[in-house]
Amino acid sequence: MANPHKSNDEFFTQLASLIEHTQKKGHGAIHLSQKRLTYKTDAAPTPEKIANNPEWDLNIADPLPLLVRATDGKSQSQDRKKNPNKNKLSTIVQPDDIEAFYARYAEVCKAGMQSLKKRDRSKRNKKKKKTPGTVEEKKA
Amino acid sequence: MVYLSTSEEWQRQSSMLLQARPTTTRITTKYKIPNLDSPKYQNSKKRKRTTEGEEKEDVPRAVLVLKAYDPASGVCLKLKTDRQADVGRLITGLGRLGRYMAALPEKSEDAVMEEPSGGLALNPSDNTSSTPAAADAKTQQAPTESAGGNKKKKKGKK
Repeated sequence: MANPHKSNDEFFTQLASLIEHTQKKGHGAIHLSQKRLTYKTDAAPTPEKIANNPEWDLNIADPLPLLVRATDGKSQSQDRKKNPNKNKLSTIVQPDDIEAFYARYAEVCKAGMQSLKKRDRSKRNKKKKKTPGTVEEKKA
Repeated sequence: MVYLSTSEEWQRQSSMLLQARPTTTRITTKYKIPNLDSPKYQNSKKRKRTTEGEEKEDVPRAVLVLKAYDPASGVCLKLKTDRQADVGRLITGLGRLGRYMAALPEKSEDAVMEEPSGGLALNPSDNTSSTPAAADAKTQQAPTESAGGNKKKKKGKK
């Protein structure tokens, strides 16, 4: 494989730098995806298995790992040229690690995604503006 | 392509979709900072200038879009937010949905207390007792979910 899966730690450091890079550039997009990993595992469906039981995946005894991917853009431009500058990362999350992984995932995303609206900024400003005004009026 | 209005609703419907189709459903998260220099935003700015007279913001406003999509049934649930306060909550929500993807049972404190080291495969009695109920729930949810998808598609066509 040209682009093997990263370890979870490596994934987070690279994801943080990926988000930071986009943030510095001032525009762009980060795409994150997560899905069940069935490829090349014991639970991978054979065509027969699906034909015999279309709902084979509803009751699986053993938990499966997740595949989490991150990229910083589209793989093709509008005129169907391949985007050479695309960075992509992927990692496999084992079922036992899901909680720890998502706790860190949330931290990395919270730290990186700084262009979203900050909490209650407008309300605080209004309050600040109001309070000095009232104090001055009282003084006057 | 349905945007849901609240994150709770998105979480609920996505978990139903994942319970019905755990293997094919994928969840993508897009964090986008718009490029205000691009022609698209230039045009919209001009319109704003003519209508409102003033530009609202110079700083690009990012958006976060969560999407749960199942290509097999065509159900697509989306949620859009621009508030930073949502990020942490939504991603822990993704972790909860990840448990369905991994075929783990729903997180309950009792189960964690009972089997800290045992693991799931070592407790077949628990599995067999819980799976029939879960299966019933899933089969009930599957048709409602697909019906919902059809309704949504019809709306889209109009």
